[in-house]
Amino acid sequence: MENSKIISIEGLKKHFNMSGGKFTALNSIDLQITKGEFTGVVGPSGSGKTTLLNIIGSLDSPSEGKAIVLGQSIGELNVKQAAMLRRSKLGFIFQSYNLLPVYTVFENVEFPLLLLKLDDGERKKMVLESLEWLGLSDKIKSKPSQLSGGECQRVAIARAMVKRPEIVLADEPTANLDAANSHHILKTMLQLNNEFHTTFIFATHDDKVIGYLRRKISLVDGKVAKDEISNN
Amino acid sequence: MNLLIKLAARNLIGTGRRTWLNVIVLSFSFLIIIWHKGLLDGWDRQAKNETINWETGGGQYWQANYDPYDPFSLTEAHAKIPSEFDAPLSKGDVTSILITQGTIYPRGRIQSVLIKGINSNQTLLKIPSSLFLKSNDELPVLIGRNTANDNGLKEGDLITIRWRDVHGTFDATNMKVTGIFDTDVPSVDMGQVWVPLDHLQKMMGMPDEATIIVRNKSKEANINIDGWKFNSSEALLKPITDMIKMKSVSGMVLYIILLSLAMLAIFDTQILSIFRRQREIGTYIALGMTKSQVVVLFTIEGALISVLAGLLAALYGIPLLAMQARNGMSIPGGSKGFGLAVADKIYPFYSLELVVMTIIVIMITTTIVSYLPSRKIAKMKPTEALRGKLQ
Repeated sequence: MENSKIISIEGLKKHFNMSGGKFTALNSIDLQITKGEFTGVVGPSGSGKTTLLNIIGSLDSPSEGKAIVLGQSIGELNVKQAAMLRRSKLGFIFQSYNLLPVYTVFENVEFPLLLLKLDDGERKKMVLESLEWLGLSDKIKSKPSQLSGGECQRVAIARAMVKRPEIVLADEPTANLDAANSHHILKTMLQLNNEFHTTFIFATHDDKVIGYLRRKISLVDGKVAKDEISNN
Repeated sequence: MNLLIKLAARNLIGTGRRTWLNVIVLSFSFLIIIWHKGLLDGWDRQAKNETINWETGGGQYWQANYDPYDPFSLTEAHAKIPSEFDAPLSKGDVTSILITQGTIYPRGRIQSVLIKGINSNQTLLKIPSSLFLKSNDELPVLIGRNTANDNGLKEGDLITIRWRDVHGTFDATNMKVTGIFDTDVPSVDMGQVWVPLDHLQKMMGMPDEATIIVRNKSKEANINIDGWKFNSSEALLKPITDMIKMKSVSGMVLYIILLSLAMLAIFDTQILSIFRRQREIGTYIALGMTKSQVVVLFTIEGALISVLAGLLAALYGIPLLAMQARNGMSIPGGSKGFGLAVADKIYPFYSLELVVMTIIVIMITTTIVSYLPSRKIAKMKPTEALRGKLQ
């Protein structure tokens, strides 16, 4: 599967109905992403980065064109199939962490495994392992409100990685973090990418993130303006 | 479903104060509904048991002309006791009562009464007729506590009684109050005097006659006796059943108000949850739940409030209700005027059926109330919800 295409996008368009007309967020996107990439969709606000990530993550569907993720055409998936794809193969990291506020760190990280119906022992082992990677072993009983921003984002990464997904989609993961925490998080993600060959796709306009990317796909007004491989 | 229940429980417990406020409000509703219904059931049982023991027995044979609601029919409502009752009478399986109208003159006032003659040796009803046997008075009379109090009578007092015999001739005599009995059944007390049956038969010139024949509740009834109409215990207790039913209906208003308040709190919490937890809803979907699973999750969260409320109500309610079931609840004195059996104390009766039905009704209502606002989730766009954007 190494270097094999896991995402194939052809002629992808996404329109939104707005008051006073139709807004085109993505316009004729063609992309191929292979396994193990550490890729970023970069561009200014409103360029369509998040929309593209949402479609790859089966949270949204294309208006036109095709988006095939891990062999499944996103536009043709029903609600259950899309949920199953997200549950088993995709991990999400969000700008504002989106941790479940009433759960402890352990419970937050455990959540995706509960949905996969893994047994107690296996779940516990995987959660502890994941938290250990992220250096959060001493925080397992803490609630998100008791953690710093950097720690919250590390919990979010642990939650995204705990089920060993094929693809992790990270939408502005460092936007709420200071520089030191941003670098720490990015190094961790890079390490996980190297260790597990998990494909990371970022949506960002943060230079710190861009500095770590091996491939930068620049979007401008919903179109791919540039697609470049860096030497990282 | 197990997973969703587990997650809902986790969410509820994590929510803390908001959950417990709803739980407490709902637990009050549980308790008050069960308490009120238990009180009515207790009254129903008590009233019926006492009425059976004091008045109706296991049913009554009425002389064909007897109509308790028509006092003018009383002069015609008597007949020889049928021979079919000879054996049961001697065995004490039935007891006969002769009823006529009369007047007493306590403290110089005129008071209409029903004069009831009852077998002195009967034990079928709780009327303490054995006191007639113990008395040396030539003309003994028993009255209930309320009649005694209303007329300022006490044991040993002489009262003048006037009546009309079988020929319509007025007659009068003095009788001595041999005993005063306490009963919760006003219809054997208020405005009634009890005398030995043989005395009344002599006074009326109606030897071996009776107006009603009460049978033992444990004996089979022969319902076809010429000139006598059999009234089952159920038919005789119908006024009590109807009264309790009426009270239950008015109690429903209380339940509806209580339940509405509790449901409003839950509905409000659900609306607020969905409003405040949009990002959380988006996260659930992003992590692999379907919208319908999230709807079910929120519905279960609401429904679990009723489970917790039930547990909480059991925690403080069982000792409270058990204490009241043991000690009873005092009823105001004026309630004797209801005309139905009302004891000084009512002992609530909590049946399993009552508790289970209340729990089921509240749980179903809570689930529906939780589901209604949760349906909004199905219309949410996950991408918007993830950003916590109001939809």
